[in-house]
Amino acid sequence: MGLHTLRLATVPLTFSTFTSRLFLKPIPPNTLQTLGQFSRHVQPRKPFLVRAFSASAAVHETPPTQASDSSAARPQWKASIDFKWIRDNKEAVEINIKNRNSNADLGGVIELYENMVNLQKEVEGIREERNNVAKKMKGKLEPSERERLVEEGKSLKESLVTLEEDLVKLQDELQQVARSIPNMTHPDVPIGGEDSSAIRKEVGSPREFTFPIKDHLQLGKDLDLIDFDSASEASGSKFFYLKNEAVLLEMALLNWTLSEVMKKGFTPLTTPEIVRSSIVEKCGFQPRGDNTQVYSIDGTDQCLIGTAEIPVGGIHMDSILLESVLPLKYIAFSHCFRTEAGAAGAATKGLYRVHQFSKAEMFILCRPEDSETFHHELIQIEEDLFTSLGLHFKTLDMATADLGAPAYRKFDIEAWMPGLGRYGEISSASNCTDYQSRRLGIRYRPSEPLQTGSKKGKASLPATKFVHTLNATACAVPRMMVCLLENYQQEDGSVVIPEPLRPFMGGIELIKPKLR
Amino acid sequence: MGLHTLRLATVPLTFSTFTSRLFLKPIPPNTLQTLGQFSRHVQPRKPFLVRAFSASAAVQETPPTQASDSSGIIPVSICLASSNHLTDSFYGCEFSAARPQWKASIDFKWIRDNKEAVEINIKNRNSNADLGGVIELYENMVNLQKEVEGIREERNNVAKKMKGKLEPSERERLVEEGKSLKESLVTLEEDLVKLQDELQQVARSIPNMTHPDVPIGGEDSSAIRKEVGSPREFTFPIRDHLQLGKDLDLIDFDSASEVSGSKFFYLKNEAVLLEMALLNWTLSEVMKKGFTPLTTPEIVRSSIVEKCGFQPRGDNTQVYSIDGTDQCLIGTAEIPVGGIHMDSILLESALPLKYIAFSHCFRTEAGAAGAATKGLYRVHQFSKAEMFILCRPEDSETCHDELIQIEEDLFTSLGLHFKTLDMATADLGAPAYRKFDIEAWMPGLGRFGEISSASNCTDYQSRRLGIRYRPSEPVQTGSKKGKASLPATKFVHTLNATACAVPRMMVCLLENYQQEDGSVVIPEPLRPFMGGIELIKPKLR
Repeated sequence: MGLHTLRLATVPLTFSTFTSRLFLKPIPPNTLQTLGQFSRHVQPRKPFLVRAFSASAAVHETPPTQASDSSAARPQWKASIDFKWIRDNKEAVEINIKNRNSNADLGGVIELYENMVNLQKEVEGIREERNNVAKKMKGKLEPSERERLVEEGKSLKESLVTLEEDLVKLQDELQQVARSIPNMTHPDVPIGGEDSSAIRKEVGSPREFTFPIKDHLQLGKDLDLIDFDSASEASGSKFFYLKNEAVLLEMALLNWTLSEVMKKGFTPLTTPEIVRSSIVEKCGFQPRGDNTQVYSIDGTDQCLIGTAEIPVGGIHMDSILLESVLPLKYIAFSHCFRTEAGAAGAATKGLYRVHQFSKAEMFILCRPEDSETFHHELIQIEEDLFTSLGLHFKTLDMATADLGAPAYRKFDIEAWMPGLGRYGEISSASNCTDYQSRRLGIRYRPSEPLQTGSKKGKASLPATKFVHTLNATACAVPRMMVCLLENYQQEDGSVVIPEPLRPFMGGIELIKPKLR
Repeated sequence: MGLHTLRLATVPLTFSTFTSRLFLKPIPPNTLQTLGQFSRHVQPRKPFLVRAFSASAAVQETPPTQASDSSGIIPVSICLASSNHLTDSFYGCEFSAARPQWKASIDFKWIRDNKEAVEINIKNRNSNADLGGVIELYENMVNLQKEVEGIREERNNVAKKMKGKLEPSERERLVEEGKSLKESLVTLEEDLVKLQDELQQVARSIPNMTHPDVPIGGEDSSAIRKEVGSPREFTFPIRDHLQLGKDLDLIDFDSASEVSGSKFFYLKNEAVLLEMALLNWTLSEVMKKGFTPLTTPEIVRSSIVEKCGFQPRGDNTQVYSIDGTDQCLIGTAEIPVGGIHMDSILLESALPLKYIAFSHCFRTEAGAAGAATKGLYRVHQFSKAEMFILCRPEDSETCHDELIQIEEDLFTSLGLHFKTLDMATADLGAPAYRKFDIEAWMPGLGRFGEISSASNCTDYQSRRLGIRYRPSEPVQTGSKKGKASLPATKFVHTLNATACAVPRMMVCLLENYQQEDGSVVIPEPLRPFMGGIELIKPKLR
């Protein structure tokens, strides 16, 4: 079977080569078994909405209309948005836009799409006429007749050029307007604002303190762990240095998280932290504008990443994967940078909201029918990690108005932060279905044999489909530090290190106040 | 004794609280012993050149003349920087809106008084600094200052005269004279500020002086200080790290090139663990020597970059700038660590401050091309653990030797073949008084490549960053002002040295430890930090 790939990116191999002594902890040998088992648990649960977006996922690799005359299209890239499906399901899309509190202009999209379809037909009609004229000119003709045909051909060509220019403009405009349409929503997602989010699970209970407690800022100062003041001079507010045991705690958190998640068959990665702005856009983030969360590099089209989701999403960009390599599961470590424009108030105190932080992020690319199962796997991994650390938290099925445009469904985990006296988000697991893959151009080729008698004779290969992508926080270091410092503080001002992290911190069990 | 500090930054405490099980390796308890020992080993070895720059380090913290015409609030630090040892009556801080964002406390007087030495130094270091211009500007400034002082005195005299009883005509004459003097003063003071700004701009390009033992000349003149090991002899055709990285599925340049641009990369699989092992091991080794671990901001104000002696702007800058702000990405943790104690006065007892900082580093690598930039050797983003020391001037040479020793010990433990070079004058960056580079053998690339650099910057950076300390020895009695019971402050010396630049270490490890079957052996010290992995094996396809 021919390997008809656009760009078959190298895919990760499982860690069968790793010994069981990884990170000094026994790890069951990771083989493809883990991966295989998901396909057995597939629950095709009400997938009609999300599937619908993917319905026409088979992409014509040779566009029927050659609009490539004017190759200098304004948008840098094209999202493969299924406009036909949107038009055919406009009531559902309209309701979804409303539920998600989006200001996407569905009417505009449909109007532009229909104009474009009509214009395409017109262009095709004129092309046909032109072909007919050309055909006629092949025979023997009176000079006057030939001249008339030449004139007709010329005039047709001119109209064609104009119309094709219009078509490109229309397509560009359609792209621009349609990109703001959010992903469809899982039918179980509660409809409404933040208050409507449903509690999926609750673990533990708030620790009861028998002494006056400190917040992590005070603990960080008293234990000489965090320096915001110097960072404010050197860099600006909301930057920080970690010092002493905090540095070791960060490393322990990351090392432990990586080792735990690798046990589940995830491939570890470190990523570039500077990426082209187009990748940021394709992942569904806004790299420009007044309220952007994204730092841009001066004099280039590059940005700093706000999450490793962006460079990991980009790894397989514009490629067709073999079905047999799916799912691809990554655990990526990176630093993340966010402008936090507009963030203010008590919720942004200390480490809770900062411009730069370390994070380990999980990312999965899978077949559409598997994404719901993997979404549950991701939230389960998160819950297991935070339970191991002894945190009190609740998992929320986030309500429609709280979903970012790419998410079909999102589970947040909010942990109890006694010093701040409230729950705070420590992780987020999103199923983006094909929202990102349609922008990043990540497809796979199903391996099942295709029925015979397709349009083109050579079409022995099954049509490609868009993969589904999912992302989930494994460990956002500063927020974990807020939880650990505030929950594990002792009356004497020291902080206990949770047991699982100790082997990754050289056995340190306690952060003690330093002698002055 | 009063603790008369501007901003006494929190200083790190040693890791006496740490158990000996740090990173699963026994660590001798780190106490202040380590720190104390340097003062006992002080070798005041030919320090005249570097000392000279520091000579007038004593800063007047209270300007005797209150020239506070412009009532704007002036950061004390700026006053300090600019009032440094200039004539008694002028303080740049009276004009708070000076054009340069900050002032380097450059010792112009010393430069003028040692112009032959400075001239030779500039020539040896292949610098295009304009010494003649600096001296001319400085002398113009001094003359102008005198003029300004003269007029101030006249004005005071006029004011004094007007206090008495006077004929109306005489009073009018004095009022006129006072007005005219004030006008001249305003003009001259404006000129003076311009002159000072210009002097700052021109003088900042003067490089640090050079240690007398540093070989004079270009790169070829650098002297080998030490050589460890020998090139491994291979009995099979070897691959470079790029090939090994591809074959073992460790490094992905192709995807990164699409996503980010050329010279970016993803690490995958065991390479991720190797990076973590290198950093964890390095941190744990260096912490044993009494260094305080840090993670740092990777976005800093451009002024901090400048103060550390780097150029944040311009066509050939190595620095990425953030759009729409005055911030940059750091090229090395030296920058944010240098910035921690900016504009502060440390207690002598807190010195030396020794840091080991982990950060990601970002470099545009403008102008870099060719074979020397292949693969991981020259990249836009990488992880690095960097040592940084702030110490008393008399200790910096000892600390420099300690830093190069730590580097040599680390690389020896990893079994690398390398040589340590005392870099020649033309190869020193402006801040370095002396620089030791380590170049390791990279068999796949077929050459030695720089893997670390240890620089003594003496007071070049501290004069820009405003980092001083107050000596604890009692001051002699009978100083000018009665209350001067505190000893004058001095600028600290700063030193920086690479502990582990991850990608270059990976080049060395992959290329030196490759086996005939395509696998790569992990050096023994790193194994405990990699879950015991001993070998990176080719994956089954």
